[in-house]
Amino acid sequence: MGGGAMPEAGHGKRRRRALDASVNVVPAIDLLSCCISFLLFTAVWTQIGRLQTAPLGNGPPAETQPTKSLTVTLTVGQNGYVLATSAGAQIEIPLSGRTSDGAVLYDLKGLAERLKKLKSDFPDQAAITVAADDAVLYQDLVHTIDACVGAGLANVSVMGAS
Amino acid sequence: MAIVTPGKRPSARFATSRILGGKMWRGRHTTNADLNVVPMVDMMTMLVIFLLQQFSATGEVLFMQKDIKLPDAQHGQQIEVAPVVAISAAQVVVSGQKVAEVSEVEKDPSQIIAPLVEKLRDEKKRWDFIHQNDQDRDKNWKGEVNVQADVRVPFRIVRRVMASAAEAGYGNVNLATVEESTMASAAAARVPR
Repeated sequence: MGGGAMPEAGHGKRRRRALDASVNVVPAIDLLSCCISFLLFTAVWTQIGRLQTAPLGNGPPAETQPTKSLTVTLTVGQNGYVLATSAGAQIEIPLSGRTSDGAVLYDLKGLAERLKKLKSDFPDQAAITVAADDAVLYQDLVHTIDACVGAGLANVSVMGAS
Repeated sequence: MAIVTPGKRPSARFATSRILGGKMWRGRHTTNADLNVVPMVDMMTMLVIFLLQQFSATGEVLFMQKDIKLPDAQHGQQIEVAPVVAISAAQVVVSGQKVAEVSEVEKDPSQIIAPLVEKLRDEKKRWDFIHQNDQDRDKNWKGEVNVQADVRVPFRIVRRVMASAAEAGYGNVNLATVEESTMASAAAARVPR
């Protein structure tokens, strides 16, 4: 077991030292208490992220866009997604359904698959324009942009569909 | 007054007495009691490690509000310090100050929200003043604004906010989201056991 080795018993008249050594842990406890207090005060419990976008169509342009090989436009409407490219392709991704209160459910899985296929066909493509209908909810817009970023199309521009 | 150990303190006459003095001292325990603090140190160490993992150097950029529920996202980047435009179902707020009512924005045919543009221009002026001695001021200007909108806010409101930000010189709009892992843990915590 973890017992300490006994010291050699030389010099008979000398007193043997005790093997039990107590470490003063009070400074360690003080330090840990201070650390815990500081970290509890500065703790961030909700991890908030950001999806970077650039507004298009209104106001001055944010920054000069790099030369694009292809223009990809994703329209978000009440009937689903329409993915169109400047090469002439136009793919419709219909809604996956509606909720009981009438809210639309977009086919995010289908969109992600289409975007991944597009990315594999055009690996250098990083820009996409999301054109959303006025009635589209913010959460649907965010989920759509999230799917675009997840597929590797990180330069997302947002504009109104109408 | 001298500090004495707790317990019975007989008078000097009693203490020296063979009959009474012995009774006073009988059964007295040592006053030194050792407390085992090792489990407490272990627990505190684990707490420190957990809190260090949660630590964020940027601090709290956005404050969660009761009337704003953020959507979740998987591929969000770390949020940075920038002016915050909060859009709830009722009002538009910039850095804690209300600039417009959502109902008024809906009625207004204009594509931008004038008070919002004004407020964001003020923020930009403030940034310019702070960085007036900065040599690379133009390079360091990112033009970022954080939009913290409720999940049910329609895009027509968000679009006007984005257009107003662009009008004020903020070309990069960051849409605030909650990381999906945080949402999952919060949902798991709500599940009754």
